[in-house]
Amino acid sequence: MPALARVNFGDAWRVWRRNYDVYVRLWKTEIIAPLFEPVFSIIGFGWGVGSLVAGKVMGVPYLTFVGAGLLAFTALLRALFECTYSSFFRMVYQSTFDAVLCTPVEVESLGLAEIAWGASKALFDGLFVLAVLAVFGAVTSPLSLLIPITLTIGALWVAALSLLITSRIHDINNYNFYLAFVFSYLWISGAYFPLERMPEPVQWLAWAVPLTGAVDVSRQLMIGNLSWKMLAETLYLIVAFLVTAEFTLRSLRRRMVN
Amino acid sequence: MKENGNAPGFAIEARDLTKTYGNLVAVNRISFNVKYGEAFGMLGPNGAGKSTMMRMIYCRSPLSHGLLRVVGKDVTLDARAINGAVGVVPQENNLDPDLSVRDNLLVYARYFHLPRHIAEQRADELIEFAELQEKRDVRIETLSGGMKRRLMIARALLNQPKILVLDEPTTGLDPHVRLAIWEKLRELRRQGLTIVLSTHYMDEAEKLCDRLVIVDRGKILVSGTPRELIREHARHFALEARGCNGQPLHTGLPQVLAERRGSTHFYFAPSAEELAPLMKAYENHEVLLRPSNLEDVFLLLTDNERLI
Repeated sequence: MPALARVNFGDAWRVWRRNYDVYVRLWKTEIIAPLFEPVFSIIGFGWGVGSLVAGKVMGVPYLTFVGAGLLAFTALLRALFECTYSSFFRMVYQSTFDAVLCTPVEVESLGLAEIAWGASKALFDGLFVLAVLAVFGAVTSPLSLLIPITLTIGALWVAALSLLITSRIHDINNYNFYLAFVFSYLWISGAYFPLERMPEPVQWLAWAVPLTGAVDVSRQLMIGNLSWKMLAETLYLIVAFLVTAEFTLRSLRRRMVN
Repeated sequence: MKENGNAPGFAIEARDLTKTYGNLVAVNRISFNVKYGEAFGMLGPNGAGKSTMMRMIYCRSPLSHGLLRVVGKDVTLDARAINGAVGVVPQENNLDPDLSVRDNLLVYARYFHLPRHIAEQRADELIEFAELQEKRDVRIETLSGGMKRRLMIARALLNQPKILVLDEPTTGLDPHVRLAIWEKLRELRRQGLTIVLSTHYMDEAEKLCDRLVIVDRGKILVSGTPRELIREHARHFALEARGCNGQPLHTGLPQVLAERRGSTHFYFAPSAEELAPLMKAYENHEVLLRPSNLEDVFLLLTDNERLI
């Protein structure tokens, strides 16, 4: 039986609510603090770098171009940090997972709740950054209203991958390798400059990562484009999420039930 | 009411229960039953396999071999139902540090799908049971060790379990707190709750358990009521002589069991008369004649240097 089929959504919802309750309770540090950096990155990139970029990038102002990248990355990093350090904390230091697993909630529902929670936080932050971009005039199309869907799917994949790593490591320093890959990938993801300018092998590498599609789709929606390619990118992301989540839930069972 | 028309059966039924980790055999073909309403203890040294057995009961550790039924359900098939019917107090406290005392209970009640109004009612009752009324809105970190443990027990009762499973309920707590916890557990036992606990404290096992098993290296050594075990394995009386470094044990006395532990010599016999001659032999030592206790049974059974 696939691990995903063992998920009880009622149980997962209750674990998600636990994380949400704590998030609201700690709102100053949890909700407000993480929003400073994206605002200043928009200011920095939009006015700072943007003033150096003559003309348009791929037919749009640089702030619109880079804004989509910043938006996608703010959200995705949020999912990443939630399902690495925060999940590790709940799993190892606070023994929250142990407490939950003494109830009818089974490990697959718990794992999916963690993934969904990581994606939810990504979505909250993403909506905020999208609003800021709109204020700065970088959002030009009503199709932008679809961006949260793309962000959520992308964040689900990142959250699942991050929790997979969390389920395998025993020392918090082991995240350094994962972070090294992610932050390296950031520079070839198409977030800050067009992928088309890169050498072909780098482009192939970038497109192999499902996130590149999330960045691209967010940007196209912000500009107001729709294409079959975007659908293909979204499907690739969904498949990547499902496959990764299956591995994650199996791995988490091995870790927690032994 | 009987389920499926069957006899009520056992709260826990274990047959050939085995757990291996690679080459290590943590639990080795253990069989035992726990009746409903009984307080059942697993007594054993650290590493004996007690915690593994507890984890198997609450479905956190799959069996390598054998059969384990909890509240009539197979642990390999029905973990969800079992965890709905069992209350668990693990060895380590795992209260939620981000939530208040009362919210700890309310959030936990959700995992059992309790409706909000019932959860609130039970949370308030259990806060009273745990004597934490004054602390209901404070964060967990401000609670003392004893308060945390009481809250752990309260939390394990939220789902009105048929069995309460406690893994070393009072390890690391001071004597007053231990007495208070025991009082709570006795209160629950009087109410008819089935209790399964593991401990390495003899006094705890003796005071709380109707019946117990002594385990060592994954095997049950003996089982019975505390009284029976003492009578069968440590006679009735014990003579303890301290500070006997380098002195030989007096072996070969009829009806007397002799044992050395460090610099202390122990003798066990069915009556004090058999031990009286030994009193003279240890005139210059600190000597104690006393009834045998569970600790004697435990040490006699789990000690390798035994001499008869």
